[in-house]
Amino acid sequence: MTEAVTRSSPTVDDLLLHHEISQFLYDEAALLVERRYDDWVELFTDDALYEVPIRVTRERGAAWEVSPTGRLFDDTKQTLAVRVARLNTEYAWAEDPPSRVRYYLSNIRVRPADQQDEYHVHYNVLIYRSRGELPEYELLSTQRTDLLRRTESGWRIARRTIIVDQSVLSVRNLSYFL
Amino acid sequence: MTAPVIPDYLHRMWETLPEGRIPAKIFNDPAVHTLEKQRLFSRAWVFLAHESEIPHPGDYVLRWIADLSVIVVRDEHGQVRAFRNACTHRGNQVCKAEMGNASHFRCSYHGWTFKNTGELIGVPYHREVYRGRLDRAEWGLRPVRIDTYGGLIFGTLDPNADPLDEYLGGFQFYLDFFLKPGPEGAEVYGPPERWVSDTDWKICAENFGGDGYHTPVAHQFGFALGFYPSSGRTHFMGYAVHIPGRGHCIGIGHTPGLPPFVGFPPEVVEGYMNALSPEQISVFRDARMSVATVFPNLSFLIQPFSLAPGQPGLKFCTMRLWHPRGPGKIEMWTWCLVPKHIPAELKHEIYRVYSLAFGAAGTFEQDDFENWTNLSRQHAAFNADSFELAYLQGLDLEPIADFPGPGRAFTPYVTEIGFRNLWGTWLNYLLTPLGEPVDPARVPPAFHPPETQPVAD
Repeated sequence: MTEAVTRSSPTVDDLLLHHEISQFLYDEAALLVERRYDDWVELFTDDALYEVPIRVTRERGAAWEVSPTGRLFDDTKQTLAVRVARLNTEYAWAEDPPSRVRYYLSNIRVRPADQQDEYHVHYNVLIYRSRGELPEYELLSTQRTDLLRRTESGWRIARRTIIVDQSVLSVRNLSYFL
Repeated sequence: MTAPVIPDYLHRMWETLPEGRIPAKIFNDPAVHTLEKQRLFSRAWVFLAHESEIPHPGDYVLRWIADLSVIVVRDEHGQVRAFRNACTHRGNQVCKAEMGNASHFRCSYHGWTFKNTGELIGVPYHREVYRGRLDRAEWGLRPVRIDTYGGLIFGTLDPNADPLDEYLGGFQFYLDFFLKPGPEGAEVYGPPERWVSDTDWKICAENFGGDGYHTPVAHQFGFALGFYPSSGRTHFMGYAVHIPGRGHCIGIGHTPGLPPFVGFPPEVVEGYMNALSPEQISVFRDARMSVATVFPNLSFLIQPFSLAPGQPGLKFCTMRLWHPRGPGKIEMWTWCLVPKHIPAELKHEIYRVYSLAFGAAGTFEQDDFENWTNLSRQHAAFNADSFELAYLQGLDLEPIADFPGPGRAFTPYVTEIGFRNLWGTWLNYLLTPLGEPVDPARVPPAFHPPETQPVAD
């Protein structure tokens, strides 16, 4: 991206903003690792969208590689809350015993969005999952694009799009959040 | 092809299956996986694609028959064709993208080029290096025999396989419910979602052949959160139908007192009324849900779900392919089928409900794959051939005499008769040598009506 390599020197405000947003994302990831799902879902705005489009292997130059319609998750805050409510029952067999999941965040880039107090944040997330006594683990390399909103009660996620780098996933299921 | 190795326990299974006993080893055995490729996937009609995935001339998708890569393409004249995805010169794959549009496929190794009709039209230095010894007409892409039903494209590698219509054997009556939600039919919503998991394809195919028994337990969260108007008390009610000797089976769950076509938007109800026969309507009008497997590894499900508990359920349809990738290893393919004739927003609403329930992240699919992965792992055990599984439900049921649809129908919905027919059909393929016809009439009986049973003292 030309913009990225020709950007002028950052201001102190830029650095503070980057730090603030990074810390928010690390704290958010910690909620998932600690399985504090009720707290996690509250970090989404009421109008939030949470989407994981299907990745498709296409020829170079194809109109799209990320499906405009197909989704692994096609969620709102309300449906994320349903998933969380499910995890809170005694019957979420896929997560009992729970998986051990960890999120490695990197390459965080922050850009102002159209609205005041909103920012586009692009970053990579490597997700590790260990389940049961199996020595094998699952790894998902993903790119997240968030629309973050600064509110009176802190940062909130207004939109999250997660693109997985595999077109055929190597997972038992996705009973954890990406 | 090397001589097939037939594990002894498969011969024993032929005897124990009618008594409702199946060796667990079939669900995770390298010898069985090899035999499935040699004798089942080499001869059955295997699902390749839905016609709506390749609507325009030149559209193609890449699919599999066992471990054989297959190009499914609509040629310039609109005719659907399928080919082995291999250049006839050195066998390199000529197509490397999952989907796209192409008038030609060009091999990236030596440059042989094929039209999307399979015809070989380009050979570099043809005259100079082959000097008249290469007849291009002989070296086109190798075609795969295909046939279609209701938008489904199937392929078979067996030139002597029964025609698709005969193979489906009347199951079309039930398939229409999934494929014809209106006179214009159904279409896929987006590309298929795919993942590879340590699960045997067969346990999935069986589950979607009508395992209503697992629902109140494996998916208990749905009842606990208040998603269903039905209760565990009436859950088992309804019908189970199978096509004897062909393996296809369907479960149709009924809940007393539900309105007809409950969970379908009015446009879809109208579509069904126009597309289905009165007999089909009489079977499906009162279905709470329907779940079916086309032998060997294609399944469908229509069930209601909603974006929040307590909301009226909206019915979605999923189509899934349980593709074998190895012993105890599956590549899962899942699509959402939506009625073609409804507005785009309604299609998306149905898709959202589907994706909350199914797909790797689906709240139902998550628990299914947890169970299926764990049981597949158990059955890799060295002595799983002597571990018999209980397939005893409905052994002495009698078929319903005046059921409006083809095949053998039983009530209740929760039973294992269809599974015994499914595994009998599977075993028939595995035990019938290549070159001999796979005779559906040989499949062991899946049930014993009381008059055929020995009288107990």
